Amino acid sequence: MNALRNISLLILILLTSALSCSFGKASVFSKTMPLMDTMVSITVVADSKEAAESAMQRTFAEIGRFGELINFYSENSELAGINRNAGMHAVKVSPESLDVIEQAVIAAEKSGGAFDPTIGPVVRLWDFPNRRKPTEFELAQALPLVNYKDILIDRAAFTVFLKRKGMMIDLGGIAKGYAADLAVESLKKEGIRSGLVSIAGDIRTFGVKPDKGLWVIGIKNPRQTGERDEIIARIRLGDKAISTAGDYERFFLSEGKRYHHLLDPKSGYPAELCRSVSVIAEKGVITDGFDNAIFILGPEKGLKLAKEIGVDAIIIDGSGTIHMTDAIKDKITIEKGH
Amino acid sequence: MPLQDKYRIAILSAYALALHGFEALLPSPVPWLRFGISNIITLTALVMFGFRTAMMITLIRVVLGSIFSGTFLGPAFMLSLGGGLAGTIAMGAVLSISRNIFGPVGLSLIGAFFHNAAQLFFAYLLFIRRIEAVLFISPVILLIGTLTGFANGLVADILIKNLLKNEQDSIQNVARA
Amino acid sequence: MKKAIRNTTIADRILFLLLIVTSIAGLVYTREAFSLGSDVLVEVNGKPVYTLALDVNTEISIEGTDGRTVLEIKNNKVRMREADCSNQTCVKQGWISKGTIVCLPNNIVVIVGSRSKKDIDAITG
Repeated sequence: MNALRNISLLILILLTSALSCSFGKASVFSKTMPLMDTMVSITVVADSKEAAESAMQRTFAEIGRFGELINFYSENSELAGINRNAGMHAVKVSPESLDVIEQAVIAAEKSGGAFDPTIGPVVRLWDFPNRRKPTEFELAQALPLVNYKDILIDRAAFTVFLKRKGMMIDLGGIAKGYAADLAVESLKKEGIRSGLVSIAGDIRTFGVKPDKGLWVIGIKNPRQTGERDEIIARIRLGDKAISTAGDYERFFLSEGKRYHHLLDPKSGYPAELCRSVSVIAEKGVITDGFDNAIFILGPEKGLKLAKEIGVDAIIIDGSGTIHMTDAIKDKITIEKGH
Repeated sequence: MPLQDKYRIAILSAYALALHGFEALLPSPVPWLRFGISNIITLTALVMFGFRTAMMITLIRVVLGSIFSGTFLGPAFMLSLGGGLAGTIAMGAVLSISRNIFGPVGLSLIGAFFHNAAQLFFAYLLFIRRIEAVLFISPVILLIGTLTGFANGLVADILIKNLLKNEQDSIQNVARA
Repeated sequence: MKKAIRNTTIADRILFLLLIVTSIAGLVYTREAFSLGSDVLVEVNGKPVYTLALDVNTEISIEGTDGRTVLEIKNNKVRMREADCSNQTCVKQGWISKGTIVCLPNNIVVIVGSRSKKDIDAITG
């Protein structure tokens, strides 16, 4: 009978250890909410559902608050205040608004104006859902108002001033990445050590998954072949940000041409050299700021800019060919058939 | 096939069917889980009367059992047939290769393992088509199958011992007479 | 019974232990691989039909290959409330917060905790 007792004892030990492993273990929790006119998803690794829920709740609130400050379409946002008072007087804003505008100006400077936050007057002329493009006359009037050098930022007084009347800042090309940075800071403050924030296509990751693996991000195929959310490549990230600008997000086709929302600040028309550009860097404000710039510059100049500012980029050009910076090559897996 | 064999198969099949039907009536903690007690009969038949008899009993049990429950040639029947055949063949193969290494308990465990493996395989092939779903349930099925296989093996062992004893007794009685 | 246990051969016992250890290792592994997630994925005939949030209470009707089933999500748990089938296996399974509900006659698989793109955490673009 000794053998039997030993066997049952062993089974008991095995069972208990198997069960105890499954308790108090870090799990992945995620939640999606509509904020900043898009869907915001937060994924966190936490020991308990309660800890995850409260951290996510506060972070969503933080994203929502920031989103309202810089909402281009809301009358009450700080950004609307700046735009309304263009050419008149400086407007006092909160530190986050000031910071994101300053970062936008830096991105504009570094990209030689390929990204320009003052593109607002041109953006307003395009109506993608209703397939409306601006007339030459409208564009000729709006284009002179586009110049980031006419944004005056007073860091000491926390004010922003647009020099000429009619100027408008549109932070659509950088705010979501900045919000992802804010969200990650908020999650860390709530004690979360690992997670992922995705605001539309702007993603910030930090820490590792419970299985110690890196976060895997799929890059959408700019020309979907039917299956929803078909991806063209996947990439593994630790403490990083990734943003993608694509000509498929908001567009209409007219006379065989694709008119999309990534407008060249110099011409006021959509840039045609790329289908999509993904940028990888430490911060979302960098990736989101430069994905548009690189898209507008095209594969050649875009890759050059990426190297200059020290970010990684994956560029799918107009013919569907994939170009990328060297450092990213061993972290990316291109899907079969591409 | 000698007449005696046919009687034997008929009686054992009836036992197997009865157990099979009885089991379907039992409340089970997890719905798709069965104890497989009819395997006691298959195993006993295998050890005492050989592979052919065990195979016949399995086939009769599966076919008649599914006709009685109205699932003949349906998806559940395919699972039952695949599992039954795989279990019986595995037990028969192991027994023929190694007469003395495994006792009824070991054979029962092997039978239960192959029975479950075959059912999972067919379930994947025919219906589920999701390897994650199959992988998720397979350890549970393997664990329960091992425990029930163990219990069934013990019962079969006792049954075989008693049957052998009865046979010896009757032989002795005949000798005495 | 005791006698029967004593009758087991060494090979029997080794096999028994091996199977127990393997299945428990498998249990631990699958628990880890399917860590608690908040998505409920519904597939009919191997194709994803619905992806639902586990933390939103809903009730949906799913058209299977052979009939209709009603899936209910409540308090972070999922169950098949009704099913047009003879065995009612999926209904009997009751509430689950993790794992799978399979309705064989209707070819419906409900997976809790796994993502539709299971190896991808997020999509950019």
